[in-house]
Amino acid sequence: MKGFTPLVLGILATLGFSWLGLAYIPDLQIGHLDPQSDEEGTDIYPMPKSGMAERGRRVYIANGCFYCHSEQLRPDYAASDIERPRDAAPSAPPKWGDRRSAPRDYIFDRPALLGKTRMGPDLANIGKAAPAEEEAAPAQPSPGPPVAPAALPPAASTSPPPANAGAQQNAKPAAQPSPPTPAAPPPAANALASPANAAAQPAKPGAQPPAPPASAASPPQTAAAPSPAASPSDSPVAYSAAWHHQHLYAPRSLNLDSNMPAYKFLYQKRRVGGEQSADAIKLRGEGAPGEGWEIVPTYDAKCLVAYLMSLNQSHPLNEVKSAAAPPAASPAAAKPAAK
Amino acid sequence: MNPTEIPLKSPGSVTDLSIGEVEQVERALIDASTRVPVLMFYASAVVWLLLGTLLAGFTSFKLHSPDLLSNVALLTWGRIRPAHLNVMLYGWASNVGMGTAIWLMARLCRTTLRHPLVLVTGGGFWNLGVLLGICGILMGDSTGYHWLEFPSYAAWTLFVGYSLIASWAVLMFRFRRGDPIYITQWYLLAAFLWFPWMYLAAQTMLFIVPVQGVLQAAVNWWYANNLLFLWFGSLALGTAYYMIPKVIGRPVYSYHLAAIGFWTYAFFASWTGMQRLVDGPFPAWMITASIAAMILCIIPVATVGLNHHMTMRGYFHLMHYSPTLRFTVFGAMSYTAFSLLGVVISLRSFARYLQFSEVSSAYSHLGLYAFFSMIMFGAMYYIVPRLVGREWRFASLIKIHFWASVYGIGLMTLMLIAGGLVQGLNMDNPTLPFTESTQSVLPYLRGRSLSGILMTVAHFVFAYHFLLMLLGLGRTASVPTFLNPVNPEPGEMVAH
Repeated sequence: MKGFTPLVLGILATLGFSWLGLAYIPDLQIGHLDPQSDEEGTDIYPMPKSGMAERGRRVYIANGCFYCHSEQLRPDYAASDIERPRDAAPSAPPKWGDRRSAPRDYIFDRPALLGKTRMGPDLANIGKAAPAEEEAAPAQPSPGPPVAPAALPPAASTSPPPANAGAQQNAKPAAQPSPPTPAAPPPAANALASPANAAAQPAKPGAQPPAPPASAASPPQTAAAPSPAASPSDSPVAYSAAWHHQHLYAPRSLNLDSNMPAYKFLYQKRRVGGEQSADAIKLRGEGAPGEGWEIVPTYDAKCLVAYLMSLNQSHPLNEVKSAAAPPAASPAAAKPAAK
Repeated sequence: MNPTEIPLKSPGSVTDLSIGEVEQVERALIDASTRVPVLMFYASAVVWLLLGTLLAGFTSFKLHSPDLLSNVALLTWGRIRPAHLNVMLYGWASNVGMGTAIWLMARLCRTTLRHPLVLVTGGGFWNLGVLLGICGILMGDSTGYHWLEFPSYAAWTLFVGYSLIASWAVLMFRFRRGDPIYITQWYLLAAFLWFPWMYLAAQTMLFIVPVQGVLQAAVNWWYANNLLFLWFGSLALGTAYYMIPKVIGRPVYSYHLAAIGFWTYAFFASWTGMQRLVDGPFPAWMITASIAAMILCIIPVATVGLNHHMTMRGYFHLMHYSPTLRFTVFGAMSYTAFSLLGVVISLRSFARYLQFSEVSSAYSHLGLYAFFSMIMFGAMYYIVPRLVGREWRFASLIKIHFWASVYGIGLMTLMLIAGGLVQGLNMDNPTLPFTESTQSVLPYLRGRSLSGILMTVAHFVFAYHFLLMLLGLGRTASVPTFLNPVNPEPGEMVAH
């Protein structure tokens, strides 16, 4: 090798070339995407996440969730990602998604947590998997018109075995008219305040409460549910906020095969003062807090669940073929979404 | 012939064809001038290695026993794992690589190291950066970017340290004597220039003026693969190009091959980043370019492998004696295995199954341990005696280190590849529940934990041996420590 200068220039240039190719040019191509909207400028997708969900992203990162959970679905010709149903739902389980992920899905994400390994399922659409009531009241307060009743308090969101259906009906409209801010106060022992905190859902103005506090519904339910822990009828509806909390607190109480560590440090165990909090985790059998104690999510846990509930790539994108769309829609769109 | 009759110095390599007494003295002076900084890098590297090994074992056990100590935020799996990774990358591997590179630079530039305290300061900043970064990760301050988890306060401390170290290493070129720049110097100079290039580019595009959405992942993996190939890979290849000819006392087989290998490596390896994101949400051309680059990386692998092989030809039996050669050759061979596995997992038909499986972990460990770390162990077995003026005390400990490492990394690779294959096949079968894929890989992960025990033994044995050397408890002998009693055929030259 002759000469110092050509060597140094060559060294700098090779890496510069790859930077140009893999960072700079892609930035020109897909680095400045806008949200998509229809002709009237409505139906905008994607939207920025709420402050609570963004804080949840930090919790998600801090605890390394993205090392085991990806947030990207590969196209149907490349893998069977979008055909895969989720494990937890008993009937008609939601699929991982209807379409592949595209660059536009992530334009507000910082960082975009695409993930590298799947020791746990993909989460790109985990918010979409929530039961219908949850879906109508997404964790972020701002976008979308408020519809339908707010989140069910955990006690009520069991899939109804006929025996305690009545109790469920009572509990359903338990949402309180509290200020619709995501910055819910830290869980108070006061049972009346807590249904609003339940599952980190902002209360919806529509649901005027006859408000039996959730705990009022639980004694009959407990009585009517003699089955041991992890019986499906005891568990909250799969992928609801209450389900996520229980899953984070004690993963194997919902799925014996789960390999996820428990995140008990995101929850508080405290004495029940008066009525039990509505957002307390309804654990039975092993791991139950014991008489007079309850387990409630910390604010970080609520943010984390708000983040999970906000993950939803189900909105169709023009550049991507959806599984639901007619196949004619897209010979070209099957290609990854360039601008 | 008994060991005392074996010549102490190598009979010469390409850079120094005639060795007179003067040059021997000169070398001793150069070695002495590097003693403090290089030993400091080595000592901190070994401390980080032990810590990283413990964290690795913890990570590995927690992956199949998720309830192990999971109730403390600091010890949750998702914090221990990046802590392990970053301790190994920036604590162990970078420290040992920089220490070796500084020593090699001084030797090859034939210049004494001026003002070694600047390097010591740089090393101090570097280690402080690593410490801050690890604490940050454990406290929950991770940035969320793979291999760049250090929060900004740690990242910039690290970079200040790096600037001091690298400018010093590059400045040595100014004082070099003898014009031909040896192959090792290409690689080392390149590594020292590439690292700040990629680190600054990544820091800028991810934190200062962040790019949009998925491009962050693209920049992230561009950085991570370049760190693996252009930083660690270059340091290791450069070291191997020095150690192999030096130990067997024979010039490198072909300079031309080496030049082809170097430039193709620089050109193709730097393009491989998107190989980790096959069929992800990116324009397909980016991924295809990286897959093509990965395949083209076979060219540097083949040329480097051929070059080393032809250099070694007829001298393979020396691996029976020289610890340096044994570790280095194992590392050089692993480079081939590592690259081939890289090609396989990038191909779309394999990536379909393997992309999200544990095979990617096997790939990283092959690169960072079997290839890089083994070459660096070899280099330490060569360099440390020259710095402390003592020889390694126990051949048996070196053997334990070697075999425990080899069986450890071998078992780990096998377990992760086999387990990852099962996992990936199950994952791609939508009729099976997802947990089937994670359950099916658990037995292999337990096997991997077993391999971790072997490697833990290896590292603690090595650290103990290194500590003896630091304390001046090595052997005072005029011959190096051989793995086996030397009984060469008449007329054969054996060097350490």
